[in-house]
Amino acid sequence: MNATSTVHSDRAHMSERLEAGTASAIPFGRLVALELRKLTDTRAGRVLILVAIGLVVAVGLIGVFSGKPSQDKNLRDFLALGSLPLQLMLPLLGVLAVTAEWSQRTGLVTFTLEPRRSRIAFAKWVAALALGAAGVVIALVVAFGFTGLTDALRSSNPSWHLSWQVVLGTVVGQLLYMSIGVAFGMLIQNTPGAIVAFLILPTLWSILGSFSWSENIAQWADTNRTLSPLYNATMHGDDWAKLVVSLLIWLALPMIAGIWRMTHSEVKSA
Amino acid sequence: MIEVAHLTRRYGRYVAVDDVSFRVEPGTVTGFLGPNGAGKSTCMRMITGLTPPTSGTATVLGRPYVALGNPGRHVGVLLDAAAQHAGRTGREILTLGAIMMGLDRHRVDEMLELVGLTGEESRRRLRNYSLGMRQRLGIAHALLGDPQVLILDEPANGLDPAGIRWMRSLLRGFADEGGTVLLSSHLLHEIEVVADDLVVIGRGRIVANGSKAQLMSAAGTTVRSADDARLATALEVGGFQAAPMNGGGIHTDAEPCVVGQLALQQQVALLELREAGTSGLEEMFLQLTAADAREGVAA
Repeated sequence: MNATSTVHSDRAHMSERLEAGTASAIPFGRLVALELRKLTDTRAGRVLILVAIGLVVAVGLIGVFSGKPSQDKNLRDFLALGSLPLQLMLPLLGVLAVTAEWSQRTGLVTFTLEPRRSRIAFAKWVAALALGAAGVVIALVVAFGFTGLTDALRSSNPSWHLSWQVVLGTVVGQLLYMSIGVAFGMLIQNTPGAIVAFLILPTLWSILGSFSWSENIAQWADTNRTLSPLYNATMHGDDWAKLVVSLLIWLALPMIAGIWRMTHSEVKSA
Repeated sequence: MIEVAHLTRRYGRYVAVDDVSFRVEPGTVTGFLGPNGAGKSTCMRMITGLTPPTSGTATVLGRPYVALGNPGRHVGVLLDAAAQHAGRTGREILTLGAIMMGLDRHRVDEMLELVGLTGEESRRRLRNYSLGMRQRLGIAHALLGDPQVLILDEPANGLDPAGIRWMRSLLRGFADEGGTVLLSSHLLHEIEVVADDLVVIGRGRIVANGSKAQLMSAAGTTVRSADDARLATALEVGGFQAAPMNGGGIHTDAEPCVVGQLALQQQVALLELREAGTSGLEEMFLQLTAADAREGVAA
């Protein structure tokens, strides 16, 4: 087998190579780019992204044709409409980015190529954030399109005004949802489990919050409630405190515990 | 070079790896032998930083694995060929590795060619790969970063005889160029041809460790005679061990010359007398797999 000699360099001098600087760490930007590629090179990832975009368009279309032409047809309304499916669907990609390393057992390779696992954890987080930001850009473009479409078809005479608070609130809100998805993935490490937890737990809170005895807790712990003034640019008073408390519970705690678990647990093949 | 010192891993009260120490030198292929569940994989995961050891240390090229920076450029690792995303194509899996290690994409085609995966096969999804194809892809992945150390867990699993022969010559060539190879298997005959050194592990402990030649000469002597029982007694009286073998004959730790002299004294006619060699290693190995064999054979 002389093919071997053509593809390997001379190994006698290899220990010098280690000293000569090729031992330098993998750049963080490369890890992020890699994680973004891993999110889009499988069928599961592509389907999730297409479904998310499809839903953004679908709810926009419903918005165009429903109700009176004078009702909720402003640019701001279409952005709010489009960001709903993004809150629900895109964080699932954040979940998947993490859990696939265990469910598909790719962690065995990923963590031997980058044994400092916290770098992988942060790369996944940043990749999910980039995806979330891209999602908001798409939602904005779609919102512009549908606002114009409604005006053309139904003479809605919409307001094209979009305050920076609403845009910032939508972006930050989406990034927070992405982060919660990543945190759940890291904590639970199992695809169905983490997805169910991400989708069900906040809803459970919302249901609980509808009872009078738990109303007070829900105000502080239900992220759907605490994040909505952020999206509507109506944050005031103790809204900030409520947002911080709910994020401590649903983001900070699972993220810290999840990263600890990811960096300390044993990576096995079976 | 790989250096393992007093590695131990406990799971609760169960000790999976118990005070394991060995070295793998550059330019050699070291066979890591042991029955299923002996602790080979756990050991290899500890060397590559996937499993934190309870105690002990492991270094590769003089550093702990985590300190290698971009380890794929120095150490090729294949721990489980099936542990890849089933929905990715072989080519995509190698491309992801090449991106992560910062390699030229040509390297992907070179490695596919080296392991004999065709262009069509490389565009299939992994779930449609046979075990042998997965192993070839895994070996391609391990070689991607042009490493100087290879750590391969049961790479011959699922390969056909031609594939096993191909892999042997690949590893031999790699070691002859100065590379370091640690290769595990639960089948002695699978690696005895290619291995220079052997580390035999059973129930988490090293039971034999040394060059293949050394271990084979330490494997004792096999003898067949006209009266095995009488010869066995004489050997035991002389302070040697003598165990009957399956299919007749005796296995003993006495030198062939000593056995011959004893047979002469006892006037027992010899039918066959030789160093046990490989069959002795096999014997030792089988004892390890037997449920009650706790004591090892020291080399």
